[in-house]
Amino acid sequence: MIENRPWLTFISHCVLIIGVIVVALPIWVAVVASTHPAEAFGQGSIPLWFGNYATETWQRVLFSAAGNGVDVPVWRMMLNSLIMALSIALGKIAISLISAYAIVFFRFPLRSFCFWLIFMTLMLPVEVRILPTYEVVAKLNLLNSYTGLALPLIASATATFLFRQAFMAMPGELVEAARMDGAGPVRFFFDILLPLTRTNIAALFVILFIYGWNQYLWPLLITTDDAYYTLVMSIKRMVSVADGAIEWNSIMATTILAMLPPVAVVIGMQKMFVKGLVDSEK
Amino acid sequence: MAAVVLNKVGKKYPNGFHAIPAVDLDIKDGEFIVLVGPSGCGKSTLLRMVAGLETITDGELTINGKRMNEKEPADRDIAMVFQSYALYPHMTVAGNMGYGLKNRGVDKDTIEQKVNDVATMLDLSHLLDRKPRMLSGGQRQRVAMGRAMVRDPQVFLFDEPLSNLDAKLRVQMRVEIRQLQKKLGTTTLYVTHDQVEAMTLADRLVVLNQGHAEQIGSPLELYDKPATPFVAAFIGSPSMNLFSATLESNKLNIGGDSGFSLAADHEFEGSVVWGIRPEHLVVCEQNEDFKIRVKAVESLGAETLIYGAIEGVEEELVLRLSGPHQPEINSDICLQAPQEKWHLFDANTQQRLS
Repeated sequence: MIENRPWLTFISHCVLIIGVIVVALPIWVAVVASTHPAEAFGQGSIPLWFGNYATETWQRVLFSAAGNGVDVPVWRMMLNSLIMALSIALGKIAISLISAYAIVFFRFPLRSFCFWLIFMTLMLPVEVRILPTYEVVAKLNLLNSYTGLALPLIASATATFLFRQAFMAMPGELVEAARMDGAGPVRFFFDILLPLTRTNIAALFVILFIYGWNQYLWPLLITTDDAYYTLVMSIKRMVSVADGAIEWNSIMATTILAMLPPVAVVIGMQKMFVKGLVDSEK
Repeated sequence: MAAVVLNKVGKKYPNGFHAIPAVDLDIKDGEFIVLVGPSGCGKSTLLRMVAGLETITDGELTINGKRMNEKEPADRDIAMVFQSYALYPHMTVAGNMGYGLKNRGVDKDTIEQKVNDVATMLDLSHLLDRKPRMLSGGQRQRVAMGRAMVRDPQVFLFDEPLSNLDAKLRVQMRVEIRQLQKKLGTTTLYVTHDQVEAMTLADRLVVLNQGHAEQIGSPLELYDKPATPFVAAFIGSPSMNLFSATLESNKLNIGGDSGFSLAADHEFEGSVVWGIRPEHLVVCEQNEDFKIRVKAVESLGAETLIYGAIEGVEEELVLRLSGPHQPEINSDICLQAPQEKWHLFDANTQQRLS
């Protein structure tokens, strides 16, 4: 719609500005709150401009202890979250690539059965199978470990499905040309398939990284050791202190920090993300 | 360089469909063979069977005397140019051309050397660092050929390589392919549905119809002595005029009672298919064999195609005259059909009567 109507421009700008305010205001409040002393937020009035308590809050939160009963500094929890999110994203991508490769390019007995079996796990997200999964992880002695955090979340039907579609869209003559050129299955996978699906991989990485980063229930269940706390679940812990004042300033600072990595990933991979979802250079 | 022999090669799909019953073909070393036929005649399937991309279910394929039926495509020492070119989009031109050699463990310097040689031959040297998407259609086609040539294979296989190019480029590439093949002397199997391409390129043509090799021979042999009405209609443009007719007591009757008859010096008696090429009909003032009523005229400058019908005969007829002509629509033209240019086929067996 390319029209020159001043009123339309005005109204659409209004709508957009309201939208931006609605989305941005809570973040703004969080930033501002982290610069005030702990009590300021609880007094009923919400400050809308920076206080002069910023350095103290941020220093404490980042390097000594997050407060509110969480004794490890935020950087440690960020590291935990990062390890978990990365292992989930990369693990999912690796497993899905391989399984989609098998399903699309190899003829073996029960091939479509295998595919549907994987596909059915879509109906069984972690929340549904949380108790049996917990038991398995506990019996494998994986409680309070990075493996335990990431492994149960790695198996992924969505990613397998996405790669299956990407592989099936691969022109048949390209596959045949590679065969004529003497590329065996492994060579073909690394030389042809991976480079051609790299935009899909990037798009999926963004989605899966955020999925991994935002995990709440599972880390809450299997970590009891502060050393393995992830950022997102810790925020909840910080809010539910048994008695005493909630340190809203440190919570807000932590929240801001928790938002940064996903934002960074999205911004950093935006171009490839869009490319991977929209077109494919084939 | 190698001889390729197809001995009763056939293809039967698991669902019982017999795509190719049995093809016998003896390709001599360095020969340029074109497989031609309408779409769905099995020409691509046959080529892919030689390539090893389709399994051979019957018969035997040998290259240089060695049985190839069970060999992987990469082990047959052949190279193929695909219709879509199938260039690897993420590799440079040099990477595309060298990939086959790389997989065969050839060292880097040799690959570079060979790629450069072929690139010079195909006039691609200045494009070696580009990706396929930055190339024009003609250039991509060259890269695809270069990829095949770099490996210096025993046999080239082409699967309708020119069908994605515009008409002018197609003619140009056609000439180029022919010259390259002569220069390299590599045995070549080429699939096309375009009969002009087939005629101009081939040492020998194989006309396929529903998986059968209807006729195998040089382009002129097929033009002069088509073995069946199918070949007769397929080779030559515009295609041959074919009429169902009966031959009895030295008279050729066309179009039943209302049609006309020609004196024929032939022993055969019974129903036949009579054919004459549009360019062999002669316009005459007197002693005409028959008249046609003009229905449409196509002036192409160098030649004129006149479409018409003979009274009482169902089949339409095309007449090809050189130079410009402007006959009136619905006017009559008198024609002679010289008997030495006739093609007669037995209507029952569809075989040529000599």
